[in-house]
Amino acid sequence: DKDCLKIWESLKDAFIYKDPCNITSEDYQPLMELASHPIPCNKSLFWSKTSDLAHRYTKSNQNFLTLEDTLLGYMADRVSWCGDPSAPGINYESCPKRSECESNPSSVFWKTASKMFAEAACGVVQVILNGSIEAGAFRSSSIFGSVEIFNLNPAKVSAVHVWLMHDIGGPRSESCSGHSIKRMKSILEERNIMITCEDNYRPVQLLQCVRNPDHIDCRLCTNTT
Amino acid sequence: MKNLFLSLLLVSVLFMTSSLEVQGRKWKGEGTTPNLESIVIGRCYDYIRILNPAVGEKNCSEIWEAFKNAFVNKDPCSILPKDYELFINLSLHTIPPNKSLFWENNQLLVNSFAARGRRYMSVGDTLFGFFADFLNWCGQPNSTGLDYESCPTTEECENNAVESFWRMASSTYAQHSSGEIHVLLNGSAVGGAYPEPGFFADYEIPNLQKDKISQIVIWVVDDIKGPDIDSCGTHTVERLENRLKALGYDITCTDNYKSVMFLLCLDYPDDSKCTLSSSAAAAQRGPMSSERGGSWNKLTFLSFVGFLFRFALVY
Repeated sequence: DKDCLKIWESLKDAFIYKDPCNITSEDYQPLMELASHPIPCNKSLFWSKTSDLAHRYTKSNQNFLTLEDTLLGYMADRVSWCGDPSAPGINYESCPKRSECESNPSSVFWKTASKMFAEAACGVVQVILNGSIEAGAFRSSSIFGSVEIFNLNPAKVSAVHVWLMHDIGGPRSESCSGHSIKRMKSILEERNIMITCEDNYRPVQLLQCVRNPDHIDCRLCTNTT
Repeated sequence: MKNLFLSLLLVSVLFMTSSLEVQGRKWKGEGTTPNLESIVIGRCYDYIRILNPAVGEKNCSEIWEAFKNAFVNKDPCSILPKDYELFINLSLHTIPPNKSLFWENNQLLVNSFAARGRRYMSVGDTLFGFFADFLNWCGQPNSTGLDYESCPTTEECENNAVESFWRMASSTYAQHSSGEIHVLLNGSAVGGAYPEPGFFADYEIPNLQKDKISQIVIWVVDDIKGPDIDSCGTHTVERLENRLKALGYDITCTDNYKSVMFLLCLDYPDDSKCTLSSSAAAAQRGPMSSERGGSWNKLTFLSFVGFLFRFALVY
């Protein structure tokens, strides 16, 4: 059982009346402790540059959970907040972007929550990556590539399954044999975590086909009238 | 003898306790959802600020009060759809043309397919529908409190708070729908894809505004592993088609509409109905894994040879 009002208070205390460019992970510790809950093994689903697809997938398949399907992520998703030293302490007009200052309340929140989500993962974990972007499917500049992958616990996580998806009709910039996947592989193997990779994992591809039912890549074998 | 007496005593005590419990619960249905007020007010703000800010400014506290006043302090079997009139007036907003999606016997599928109003706007994607979806509530006479223990089911009495709410919401939704209307039916449903009585039959079709509707598109989709009980032109769907045609609507009907099929296929990707002709070829290549060290090592070796070759060329 969770005390939702207390959780709100701990979120508010993390940023209210504070300089919005000087937020730390420690500010969010009380919130993290109150709102965290265990994640069943083999259910963690990470994602990078595949937000819409990953979340549509967990919505239709209750076997997997993204950070945004946990209590903490669900509460904060699509919502923004920041404080200001002057009254009323919450700034409803504007908040600093990441480019203006990195230690803003939102960026620090998601970084801290992502770290916790990765630490809580156990068993086999899944990640949906985007093989249609030029910058590469696995990027060190992303939260997955810089925070989550390094906070998976090798004592709890046995393997990472990569589902490398290409946009329907989109470019095949990278596939499982690509450079960034190799880099990801070496990072994980150094940490003693096994990795497998599959191009266009079928269930997720079926989801892409919902939006492109008439595309040539979405032709069904049986001709249904 | 003593043991038998004790067992009989135990059994009668248990029986009495359980029947007392049943007497304590007034009704057969689940009670009001705990924290109902916080949930619905939160949903209201979630909707107007994030999900669909196009609806403009709404007074969420006022909407909650109007909702509550429809059923509190009354006999929970005497609630009528028009008791929700003020609630509807306060929460109503335009439904974009061509986006209405009606349904029967496939609520979770419709939720996924409508994508929270981005593709289609089902009744659960309107403010008034989103407000109450999946929740339960009822009041009691001579008290402004909600009954959290039990609520009447529709079998116990039709004019209960939840049933009347959805009758009102469905009628309103149909009244404000326009353009191309879609209806998603379950071809595997026992009793037929188009149930009568049913919400679509009794509260939605009668409230459609004919002059605002260009066409009615019917989709009949079977469960992947389900029987093909109904299809376009047969049984209950034929009855629906005839009814709509008699009312003067231009209609089309499609069996197993592909977009929806793909969604159902998520749970059965290997079923023959779900095989993609492109992936039949891909399956031969297979997934790459670090266990099959061979393919990774071969690639590394080839890259190294390629690098050496290029190096040699340059120098």
